[in-house]
Amino acid sequence: MSDQLLCVEGLSAGTEDKPILHNINLTVGAGETHVLMGPNGAGKSTLGHVIMGDPVYKVTSGTITFDGADLTHEGPDKRSLAGIFLSYQAPVEVPGVPLYSFLRTITQKRPELRMTARQFRKRVGQIADQLDMDQSFLTRELNVGFSGGEKKKIEMLQLLLLQPKLAILDETDSGLDVDALTVVSRGIEAYRQACDGALLMITHNTRILEKLTVDRTHVMVKGNLVADGPASLIDDIDAHGFEQFERKAEAEGLTRGDA
Amino acid sequence: MATNEAQATQATVTLERVNTPPAQTWNYLRANDITLTVPNLSRKGDVYFALPQLFDRIQTGMGPKVTQWVTSQAADSTYVEVPAHTVRTQPIVVDIDAQKGQVADTGVMVREGATATVVVIAHGNSDTDVASAALTRIVAEANTHVHLYEFVAVGQHHTHLESVGIDADDDAVLDVRQFLLGGSTSAVGFAAALSGDNARIDLKTRYLARGNETLDINHVVRQLGKKTRAEIHESGVLDGSAHKSLRATIDLVHGAKGSKGNEAENVLVCGENVVNKTVPVILCDEDDVQGNHGATIGSVGPDQIHYLEDRGLSFDEIEDLYVRAIFDDAVIQSPTVDARHAVLARAEEVLGAEIADDLLAGLDIEEQLLDQSDSAKEA
Repeated sequence: MSDQLLCVEGLSAGTEDKPILHNINLTVGAGETHVLMGPNGAGKSTLGHVIMGDPVYKVTSGTITFDGADLTHEGPDKRSLAGIFLSYQAPVEVPGVPLYSFLRTITQKRPELRMTARQFRKRVGQIADQLDMDQSFLTRELNVGFSGGEKKKIEMLQLLLLQPKLAILDETDSGLDVDALTVVSRGIEAYRQACDGALLMITHNTRILEKLTVDRTHVMVKGNLVADGPASLIDDIDAHGFEQFERKAEAEGLTRGDA
Repeated sequence: MATNEAQATQATVTLERVNTPPAQTWNYLRANDITLTVPNLSRKGDVYFALPQLFDRIQTGMGPKVTQWVTSQAADSTYVEVPAHTVRTQPIVVDIDAQKGQVADTGVMVREGATATVVVIAHGNSDTDVASAALTRIVAEANTHVHLYEFVAVGQHHTHLESVGIDADDDAVLDVRQFLLGGSTSAVGFAAALSGDNARIDLKTRYLARGNETLDINHVVRQLGKKTRAEIHESGVLDGSAHKSLRATIDLVHGAKGSKGNEAENVLVCGENVVNKTVPVILCDEDDVQGNHGATIGSVGPDQIHYLEDRGLSFDEIEDLYVRAIFDDAVIQSPTVDARHAVLARAEEVLGAEIADDLLAGLDIEEQLLDQSDSAKEA
């Protein structure tokens, strides 16, 4: 396995008529934890979705290499099977598909996770217990009628079940109460312990980072990565906000990019 | 229940334009009804115990022609009464072996304040063309709670007619689940009259039609009482050259003040030669009511597709997931061992033995099935 798990080079992307990301360069090593911060509308979530291959966005230049393979032109299903997982800020409701059917199907797709139905049921039960989830959830439709906190727990359930090489967590902490945040943090910790997976955390909230050892912090403003540094950068942002980075972006005349 | 093992050589009768909605659309759309050719056995000399006349007044989904045909073909009728203020724990089961071309005529009287579960299962597979039918009429008196489960899991050479009529009095609650899992021709009519005030119905239908199968559904809910509620939701998958017609009518009758009715359908169309017709209708003869209907036809939304792709599924695999999900849901909801067996047998035909076994083991129901079988034997 390459030490450089994810390598984004010179990446520019946007929607059909609007450029959003500009010349992004980002490298995440295997097992590392990176934090991506920035003001609202900076393009953080867009970057997560572009790495995952969201067809809404078009890559206009640059490459996305993962685990040594160029995935720039691959579809999201291939990227997922390669080991990238994107946890949604607002998980999508899928009527007509029970959670059990969904989990069983996505697990069966991965040869390394193949197991009998009984083993699978047991494994899902263990993870559900870990996340304080009632197992009756399994027979309900995927994300339909669940609260925001429950939906995030279902994302964590998938993360722990699939054990991807890289998890991009897009504001997984948003809209969670203290108890739900504790459970989600526990899920992230369990993921790190179980498979030493890499993390790219997109967040505004430093509380979710408390139990994690952050290797690198990146700041995004107007679709540009304007700063990166060690974990201590988070404290700096906590104390002074993003204004310094926005001023810097303005001084350097960086392109406007609305996410 | 009549058994007709030699239907192929029997006389037939044509039931012209049955399963009709209260209000019809343009004829050229060919979505108003279905015409079926069915066996016509002579019952001359048989002693037939008819249901109490009260049941004759219940409007059924497939209409009077089918009711008349079923009563002429069923060797007997079955009447079940659930006493007032009791909870009947054992479901009332109407089991149709489609392979034998069985025809059943059942009447259920749920007396005031009682709770009952009715399960109608049509199952079986064979290489010969046969027709089967279930006519089920239910009277739900005031303050009753009726759960009705219908499973149509017949084979690719079978024609099955399923006609239901329910009358619900004050504060009655009807909880209906239909799983229409296949058959050469499945014609399913359901009619409920919410006659009493505050009566309500929650009707959920999941269907699958593939190959050259024909699925014809007629849902009618008449809201006559005040402050009645109707929630109707149909969802399904159509593949190959399947032909589906769905007529869903909510009739808000004069005097049904404060009543609300909602109907919605989601269809995933997979095959290029699928014929998919939907006629959602709200009839309204009262000012103080609310009625809504909507349909998502053609595909699952792009957000859902993208979310599922993000978890490693290709578009074809997403379609397969939706089909499997129908069977998973049917197995989960099956209230009896026989219903589960019928669903699993059909799942084996559609999805293959490996996935059918997976459904059974994964949902941890194998033990439950055995437990239920043992309890049934002991009982």
